[in-house]
Amino acid sequence: MRIKAKSKGDITVVKALFKHPMLSYDQAKKKGKEANFIVYITAKVGDKLVYEASTSQFLSKNPYINFKFKGNHKGEEIVISWIDLKGNKKEGKAKIK
Amino acid sequence: MQRRKFLGLGLGAAALTLAPVSMMAKNYREALPKVWEIKNSGKEDDLSGINEAIKAIFGSDKAEEGKVKLKAPEIAENGAVVPISFKLDKATRVAVLQNANPEALVAIFDIPELGIPDYGIRIKMAKTGTVVVVAEVDGKLYKASKVVKVTAGGCGG
Repeated sequence: MRIKAKSKGDITVVKALFKHPMLSYDQAKKKGKEANFIVYITAKVGDKLVYEASTSQFLSKNPYINFKFKGNHKGEEIVISWIDLKGNKKEGKAKIK
Repeated sequence: MQRRKFLGLGLGAAALTLAPVSMMAKNYREALPKVWEIKNSGKEDDLSGINEAIKAIFGSDKAEEGKVKLKAPEIAENGAVVPISFKLDKATRVAVLQNANPEALVAIFDIPELGIPDYGIRIKMAKTGTVVVVAEVDGKLYKASKVVKVTAGGCGG
């Protein structure tokens, strides 16, 4: 996954791009495959949860998300994780600029 | 004597104290599995599927217009990638819904203590429809809606 995290003043802005086919039930049916899509995304800085999303088959393929959270966390590390319908997990880390 | 006292306390404390939403990490796929199955009728003007999902998530579908700033394109040439973003000062939870796809619910965000509800996602829309964002703020619901005209549907792959 690709993560860009930057703090400016008292706010940190994050952009993340995940690689995932995000096959909806309809799409999966047409392709003769099983539906699978990211269902839960979290972002943490240290032990603090800074973002949490429960998602559906209706997020675009290779999901792009952007979010903000409080504080200047320059130099700290952000960890973004997702889990999909089938239970596959992925985690990415980035230094906050 | 001490033990009896302790048991008494235990019984009294059985009343559930609801923790603030921001303190409980919640995967809504596990917490509210049925809400993801709530269907849209398929009619462009019908928001009943959306409202049913809102009620299932928040306990009510009564939401006032306001507080939520929703950005969505008026015309989406590619229904497979429709950028949606919303912004408000504070919220405990926000849900994104639409009536363009077979099911209404797109995403639910729990806003953590450090969170700022200024988020963007890219969604699929099978056809023209209404996108609705509902936010829970201090126990009240606020919403914003936008109609997005889709020229090339985004679920057919």
